[in-house]
Amino acid sequence: MITFESVTKRYPGGTVAVDELSLEIPDGQIMVLVGPSGGGKTTSLRMINRLVDPTSGRILLDGKDVQGSNPAILRRGIGYVIQQGGLFPHRTVVDNIATVPLLIGWGKAKARQRARDLMDLVGLDAEMARRYPHQLSGGQQQRVGVARALAADPPVLLMDEPFSAVDPIVRASLQDELLRLQAELHKTVVFVTHDIEEAIKVGDQVAIFRPGGHLVQVDSPQRLLAAPADSYVEDFIGFDRGIRRLSFLAADTLDLDTGVIVSQDSTAADALAQARKAGTSSLLVVDSERLPHGWVATAGLESTPGDTKLADVPLTAGHGHTFRVDTDSLRAALDATVLSPTGEAVGVDSAGRVAGVTSYDRLRAAIQGADEAGRSASAAGSRPTTEGSPAPEGVPTS
Amino acid sequence: MSWAFSNASMLAHLLGQNAYLALVPVLAGLVVSLPLGILSVRWGWLYPPVLSITSVLYAVPGLALFVVLIDYTGLTDLTVMIPLGIYSLAVLFPSVVEGLRSVPDPVRQAAVAMGFGTWRRLVTVELPIATPVVIAGLRVAAVSSISLVSVGALIGIGGLGYLFTDGEQRNFTTEIVVGIVLIIVLALITDTVLVLARRVLTPWQRTDRHARRLASRRAALAVTAREASQT
Repeated sequence: MITFESVTKRYPGGTVAVDELSLEIPDGQIMVLVGPSGGGKTTSLRMINRLVDPTSGRILLDGKDVQGSNPAILRRGIGYVIQQGGLFPHRTVVDNIATVPLLIGWGKAKARQRARDLMDLVGLDAEMARRYPHQLSGGQQQRVGVARALAADPPVLLMDEPFSAVDPIVRASLQDELLRLQAELHKTVVFVTHDIEEAIKVGDQVAIFRPGGHLVQVDSPQRLLAAPADSYVEDFIGFDRGIRRLSFLAADTLDLDTGVIVSQDSTAADALAQARKAGTSSLLVVDSERLPHGWVATAGLESTPGDTKLADVPLTAGHGHTFRVDTDSLRAALDATVLSPTGEAVGVDSAGRVAGVTSYDRLRAAIQGADEAGRSASAAGSRPTTEGSPAPEGVPTS
Repeated sequence: MSWAFSNASMLAHLLGQNAYLALVPVLAGLVVSLPLGILSVRWGWLYPPVLSITSVLYAVPGLALFVVLIDYTGLTDLTVMIPLGIYSLAVLFPSVVEGLRSVPDPVRQAAVAMGFGTWRRLVTVELPIATPVVIAGLRVAAVSSISLVSVGALIGIGGLGYLFTDGEQRNFTTEIVVGIVLIIVLALITDTVLVLARRVLTPWQRTDRHARRLASRRAALAVTAREASQT
């Protein structure tokens, strides 16, 4: 647990980098500090391992004031990853990773063995061990940086804009990798970024800063999107937060319609009867494996001889994009619905078999259900506190 | 040619003397410029005044320094070596500073954040990364020192420079030509040794052919410029 107790950093010129910051970072979670430059997020991070000392206030690491520790010893117990990796250009990959184990006296053989294990953990080929950093791609260098920070198995990991110097595709894969590692290692991670998308993706908790070093809101990404504390946070998150929030709601909460599913072996007459019962104007035809074929309109069926098999009736429309009920989010379901020719999207299981169909109405019901669940959870106090600083009129952007 | 063979032992002696007179001052210059450079990077305000002093000393003609020094050190090797040491210092001091400044900021920061103390960071991170730039400076200092030794012949301590004064007095061109050739050979050998030393000391640079070619071209240009300014 890392605790900031009314921490202020004021520079000699009078600039306030961090203003009365109070924040609790629970063990085993990723806390993202996000904000524009001048928001004090990097300064806050650097005060944890004493690269910067606070002007007033205390920072406690597991209840112990970091000001009481020898900086070099303290830092060896805290992993640190920075933007361009900061790898040692004169050392091979394996020796870069072994840096801290060697500093704390593990001995060369053990440190190198540990380094090789970590290369495997972060997804680096063993053959890269003897290469130098400049022979690696940006993404690979960043992996080495993460491995180096993890080498001595520190409980705390500080990451200062670790992925902002790589291209978006590599960044996304590094983020995924971080989440995979975290699921395995359960480190206490403090992650600084200026990218709200990244914050929402990797954070268990997100702390939003605004210029002047003020913390505005600390919440889970989902709560942040649902209930921004003020207009500053709302602007910072961006215009489509409503849609983005759906990424956190699972599609399996949808009440899917199965009444419109019809087998291709049914006759046109049976299908018409089913459509009337369900009160629908189009039916989803599936094959014997329940794989989707496409939509037929009831209007067309009325002029078709009653004993015609649906397999022989021309489809009115394809089934469009499907979504996975078990793994996708409501955002994917909504996307499929918007793209669907009938305004109804097909939900499938892991084998691609149709589980049911959703519509705008059913999506709305699922979203409302999730909102009510969220509200009752926050009323029960299971949500982290939100600092109620007054909303500024006209957001300052210095 | 036959003259050179019949005087081989004298030439070998002069060659050895020339190498000794030239290279010991370069080493001394390095020993002094390392701490000076480290301090100047640590306290940035120190750099401009120290650089001014070494540059001014570099501008004093060698012969003038010999004349002044003779009063104190007499006709000894030191009289020649002290000016050469000062010239080496003038070349090496900025190289050490540039070398240490070539350490990328994120690298320095990462070292601090991982718990390196100041001394350990200097020895295991900053100096190794500065090595290529320092060796580039050493190459300039060594080659120009080797050719400058010959000026010492004017006071009788000039290594291969003796061949110039002697050849001129006897109006014997072969001797002068042999002297020039031997000085060039000595300079080339020294330079090659330094290049090899850099390859051994900086294995991480080996794959970087392009950067290496740039660095040696820059060093060669610097030698030409310095030589021109000396005459």
